[in-house]
Amino acid sequence: MISDALTALPWIAAVSWPMLVAMGLASSRARGVALALAPWAALPALVLAVAAPAPADLPWLLLGARFELDDIGRVFLMFTATLWLSAGVYARQYLDGAPAAHRFFAFFLVAMAGNVGLIAAGDAVLFYTCFALMSFASYGVIVHTGDREALHAGRVYITLVIVGELLIFAGLLSWAGFTGGTRLIGWTATAAQIPGPLVTGLLLVGFGIKAGAVPLHVWLPLAHPVAPTPASAVLSGAMIKAGLLGWIRFLPLGEAASPDLAFWCMAGGLGAAFGGAVAGVLQDNPKVTLAYSSISQMGLMTVAIGAGLAAPEAWPLLLPAVVLYATHHALAKGALFLGAGIAQHPGRSAGARRAMTAGLVLPALAIAGAPFTSGALAKLALKDALPPVGGALALLLSIAAIGSTLLMVRFVSLALASGVGSRSGARAGMWIPWALLTTAGAVLALGPRGIAGLPEMAPSLEPGVIWSLSWPVAAGLVLYWTARRLWPRARSEPRVPPGDVLWVATRPFATFRVPVAGARTSPALPGAVMEPLARAWSELTSLEKGLTRWYTTGLALLLLLVALTMVVGR
Amino acid sequence: MNWTYWLPLLVVLTSLVPGVIIFALPEGRVVTRTVLNLTGAVLKIALVWLMMREVYAERNPEFRMPLVQDVDLLLRADALALLFVSLSAFLWLLTTIYAIAYLERSPNRGRFFGFFSICVSATVGIGLAGNLLTFVFFYELLTLSTYPLVVHRGTEASLQAGRVYLRYTIAGGALLLTGAVWLQAAVGPVLFDGGDTLARADLDAAPLVAIFVLLVAGLGVKAALVPLHSWLPVAMVAPAPVSALLHAVAVVKAGAFGIVRVVYDVYGIRLTDAIGVAGPLAVLASITILYGSVQALRQTDLKKRLAYSTVSQVSYITLGVTILGASATIGGIVHLVHQGLMKITLFFCAGNIAETLQVHRIDELDGMGARMPWTMAAFTIAAFGMMGVPPMAGFVTKWYLGLGALEASQPWVIGVLVGSTLLNAAYFLPILHRAWFRRPVTPFPVRRGRLETHWALLMPPLVTAAAALFAGLFASAPPSPLEWARLIAERAYE
Repeated sequence: MISDALTALPWIAAVSWPMLVAMGLASSRARGVALALAPWAALPALVLAVAAPAPADLPWLLLGARFELDDIGRVFLMFTATLWLSAGVYARQYLDGAPAAHRFFAFFLVAMAGNVGLIAAGDAVLFYTCFALMSFASYGVIVHTGDREALHAGRVYITLVIVGELLIFAGLLSWAGFTGGTRLIGWTATAAQIPGPLVTGLLLVGFGIKAGAVPLHVWLPLAHPVAPTPASAVLSGAMIKAGLLGWIRFLPLGEAASPDLAFWCMAGGLGAAFGGAVAGVLQDNPKVTLAYSSISQMGLMTVAIGAGLAAPEAWPLLLPAVVLYATHHALAKGALFLGAGIAQHPGRSAGARRAMTAGLVLPALAIAGAPFTSGALAKLALKDALPPVGGALALLLSIAAIGSTLLMVRFVSLALASGVGSRSGARAGMWIPWALLTTAGAVLALGPRGIAGLPEMAPSLEPGVIWSLSWPVAAGLVLYWTARRLWPRARSEPRVPPGDVLWVATRPFATFRVPVAGARTSPALPGAVMEPLARAWSELTSLEKGLTRWYTTGLALLLLLVALTMVVGR
Repeated sequence: MNWTYWLPLLVVLTSLVPGVIIFALPEGRVVTRTVLNLTGAVLKIALVWLMMREVYAERNPEFRMPLVQDVDLLLRADALALLFVSLSAFLWLLTTIYAIAYLERSPNRGRFFGFFSICVSATVGIGLAGNLLTFVFFYELLTLSTYPLVVHRGTEASLQAGRVYLRYTIAGGALLLTGAVWLQAAVGPVLFDGGDTLARADLDAAPLVAIFVLLVAGLGVKAALVPLHSWLPVAMVAPAPVSALLHAVAVVKAGAFGIVRVVYDVYGIRLTDAIGVAGPLAVLASITILYGSVQALRQTDLKKRLAYSTVSQVSYITLGVTILGASATIGGIVHLVHQGLMKITLFFCAGNIAETLQVHRIDELDGMGARMPWTMAAFTIAAFGMMGVPPMAGFVTKWYLGLGALEASQPWVIGVLVGSTLLNAAYFLPILHRAWFRRPVTPFPVRRGRLETHWALLMPPLVTAAAALFAGLFASAPPSPLEWARLIAERAYE
């Protein structure tokens, strides 16, 4: 009994410590202490990732919970905890003196607990619980500023969260029903018991919302610019990876092929990779550009998942490549977001400005996949794993790298421009976590050796390889330069509204409100659509009124009695 | 004769006797009345605890008193009864504390608490009834003792609501009685014995179906099955503690509990399946779940929205018992408790808001989280529970209902659950958004004292919200409602 409690302790601590601190923030008396502790709340999770203790069963928790970290979970937890830790320290400085800092941190920490918990989860119910915790708590982080854009982004976000929760609930339930268990690790042997593509499809789409898969990505470009910068960093770096982890955990990857889903998965992934690049370049807010870059990068990982669904035999190679890609993207994207915040306050010292520019360019090169970066390793690993599925995909990856380069050039120039005219300088509390993430990315570029779950790789010095990595970057730079010549001034540039397809899809409904009693409606939809809607809605009122009238029910009961007597009388 | 023989009767008497004494007390004897109420409530919990241990050890206490030939007053504690009775006892104590504070300095409190106690005695009697006629007796007692509570304020609106309430419930009672008498005439005394009595009697299918319809129609009035639900949203003009108890455990739950009894203990699983009544009832329950939620979405008054939400949520229980499978049974039965904990929290909170700040409409809730943080925290937990978000109790219900639907090869039920969750989110999340993320349109009156409201109004919702959270978070820890429901399902399907 006592030894059981001891094995469970590190697991429980990693998840519940951030929640405890969040509770402390809610109480006005403990707030001071809790605010001082808040930036460091991810430390127990980091310890957990490094130590990876033995799995723990907690039969009293939920429907019988289990904590377990396999190699994949461990890598996910490592970059996730690093990111939350950096963002937390950064946020302490970023929000220093802001009146609602404690409220931001409360939601931030609960989302952190959920993110950590879902990675450490060894059973489906615990995973789903932590996933919900993270998703709902993030709402508070996104609408933090409370202005119109933030509330709009929040509404879009929470709607998609609900839709995602429903799809995942239906999917998980069926998954558990058919496989007859809720263990997350090692269940794929029973994958054949899941009939048809419906269950897998539900999970694919449900987690796809979190992963920013096209066309369910619309919340990302809206949420990222309005959320405080450290929150954007964890949203884009860590939380969207929860969707990816959901796929890895619950799809029958490496076991059963489902060609239909694989096709849609790869099509969506490629659409995201290219569409995200196009839409992202046509933005004028650096954080929106980064959001589209995340959509584009997640698109490449989606392609890999699709490849795994198409060819189970390729999965053993694909999996470490995807995990490496996720790690690289988390660190680089986190660094870019934190850097975007610092670029707004470059300070007056020339040295600081130079360091800042270097700090923006380095992770940007990694995202573009330039040689000798973590991105180069991730792209090479993915290319190596793809051939059994189709060589054309590898070429498409190179073309996607052109798009990534365009996005990154666009981002760096926007970010540098955002600091023009600002005289204040960012303080150490923001520089240090940023430097930490950038360094971590640089270390990863040396090659992940001896970390189970990641492929054994080292930076390649072969000219052929370097060329294959360099030409897309060079092409991107040339393209950007040409485009600048075409549209020399910001005003003449073409634009895409953030949220692209959402904007198109919801415009007709822009002024549509559910007509409640007393509320005024101003339909933007044509009368042919609106009138039946409004009529059906008021029909509901008269139906309910009719039911309330005594004689309706009385009559119904009487008829029932007569009918019964006749049945029995026969 | 063992001492446990008297246990079921004593549990009923612990509220009946205080109720009768309270009627005799003069209005001004506040302290005596309060002491009587609380002593009765605490004593009842202690007795229920004793009974629970007996039942767990499979020694079901049974009290029998012959009334006339062939008709016994039979009170028997089995696992299902205990689930319902322990919920009633627990929530009665909290609601009593709440009501004492809520009605402070209002007239006719003697009448109120007298009927309140009788109402709870009737509820407990329904829970412990061991045969159909005992059940019907307490069911009618409940109808009559609730009426004075609904019309307690004496306003035109509450009198009107009382009239609607009586018409519906008396008609429902008549149907139930018809069915019960018919059945008694056909097979003799109907014990709640898992359907053995009926299985031995070997009746034709036609009268069996007819009686089933009569019984369920009668019970369906209180369980608020569409189209028999209309009295419930009207009756929410009652004082908050009455609404809370009505929606969580007393009236609505009595109907749902009755349906559980009819399916499992009068007809039995096999016979219910054989005569083919489960399917149509499951469809009716599904319609109710969705219809209630759609109507809830249309309401602008907080209590009205909660009332329609009850219409929807209580039918989860009916749905669970009619899917016919062990997991679905667990999901349906455990929702007896889960819905009770969550809904009573919501009504307590609505009552607090109305009583402290005179706020009734949903669009007046902007910024309520800052003014009444504890109340809104409890409300938030319960609302997420209603949506079925883990780790709250509602999730456990939904999970088992869904698993049961798959086991019984009725995957359409998952569609109903998903639709209901969507609607629940659509009518609860805007409330939470207003309370926590908006600023009040006009500033709320400044608060007097250290707490946001009277402590006795604040404590009950906090306790029930914690219970709703723990019932889900620690669902597999032995004294949990889920474990008890598993026990019931095991004994029903063995």
